[in-house]
Amino acid sequence: MMTADTLHLTMATLEPFGSLELGHFILTSAALFAIGIVGFLTRRNMIVMFLCTELMFQAAAIAMIAFGRFHMDLSGQVFVIFILTVAAAESALALALVVLLFRRKETLNAEAWTELRE
Amino acid sequence: MNFCTVSVAGFLTAVYLAPLHATRTDRGGLPSEPGRVRVGGVRPVGHEWMAPSLLYTISILGAIALYMLLRPRNVSWKIIGGLLGFAAFGWFLAEMPAVLAPDDAGRPGFFYLVFSLISIGCAVRMITHSKPVYSALYFVLIVLSSAAMFLLLAAEFMAFALVIIYAGAILITYMFVLMLAQQSPDADDPTGQPEYDRRAREPAAAAIVGFILLAMLGNMATDGIGSVGEPRVTADRAALEAVQDLNLMPLDLEEIVAERNPGATIDWDDNREAVVIVDDRPMVRLIPEGEASPELFELSLDDAPGNVQRVGLALVAVFPVSLELAGIILLLAMFGAVVLARRQIELGEDELRELAGLRKVSDYDDAEEVTGGGGGDRT
Repeated sequence: MMTADTLHLTMATLEPFGSLELGHFILTSAALFAIGIVGFLTRRNMIVMFLCTELMFQAAAIAMIAFGRFHMDLSGQVFVIFILTVAAAESALALALVVLLFRRKETLNAEAWTELRE
Repeated sequence: MNFCTVSVAGFLTAVYLAPLHATRTDRGGLPSEPGRVRVGGVRPVGHEWMAPSLLYTISILGAIALYMLLRPRNVSWKIIGGLLGFAAFGWFLAEMPAVLAPDDAGRPGFFYLVFSLISIGCAVRMITHSKPVYSALYFVLIVLSSAAMFLLLAAEFMAFALVIIYAGAILITYMFVLMLAQQSPDADDPTGQPEYDRRAREPAAAAIVGFILLAMLGNMATDGIGSVGEPRVTADRAALEAVQDLNLMPLDLEEIVAERNPGATIDWDDNREAVVIVDDRPMVRLIPEGEASPELFELSLDDAPGNVQRVGLALVAVFPVSLELAGIILLLAMFGAVVLARRQIELGEDELRELAGLRKVSDYDDAEEVTGGGGGDRT
């Protein structure tokens, strides 16, 4: 059981967040994620839409690292490595697709492809 | 659309009003006992998180600010929106627990505030800027400031990996594609930006969605995070376990031992473990020179491997299959990108080729697969 006494250790840096708490970082990450969602919904430029998904990845990474620090566990950081991997793979494929789509219609407008929904 | 807005507004009103009736003490389950740390929630002294209704108010303000910033080409709305956004953020900070409280560890709260402000401000600018290149550059700033937040969270390796991979590699790819997919300037607009970059799609609905999400996540973070429970280990226990990671790094352990107890040999047990924790102190089992039975010698907490080494150990020792899968994902992504970007096929190219007496493009590709692509698979 974590008590107030054990928090003050010989090494000051051992306390997980200093004067901060888990909630601070989760709130920052929540704000970034929400802004990413709003950007994905409002922007019509395909590249900027993918950029917004990268922003959401970023928010998830901050939450992972914060939770990892909270539990004093390295799994959070290892998860971020996998997030980076998936983000890199996604951006490579998505950007290749964007280039192909741009060659077809000479526009980056996502709404130029609305006939795909029928 | 109108029906959707009305129902969402009704739902929001309900969400917004419900917590007003609940007092703060009967939310979140556990009563705070003296001397007990409500982890992630409320600390015993001087730390009070904001009430949910206040959080909802602030996120509504933020949503309105975002909506105003998304309005097309209306400078006064944008100024009001920006001011409103800053007001919401300032109010939010004022209600936060004492971030700037004096701290032994060099006031990380100040740096948290700075980098959180930079990242959120740049994120807003990124989704509101009409030039995609500037959006990408603002995203680089977000990456840099979140790398700084990783440093605050003692994730040094990930901070630098983030800068190198995200800002250095992924964002450069985005910039290249932005330049490859350059539009011809729009004649209707003085800035030459195409219409779809200047005008946001459904800013009101999107702002509402963002508000719902932010309110829910924020409520989780401030009030409901008690469900996360206690941390897995306490901070001092984690420092001890970090020293135990030396079991996986025998050469480093031998170096440490040779420095302090020359001539002693490490007494590995059947599980290849020599570092043990006895009475909350890290010990290593050694056989001193000229003796037969092992004895315990104390290690210091500073002997623990650093962040880079420990992340590497976790990656290889705890998640080896995931590591392999990550490699496969990257390999497949590379194949996919190569296949997608290999050849530019014009619309109607097949018909043109037939007129010219050539094979169809698809036949050509199949033939190429057999000779060129097949060889690569076998190696």
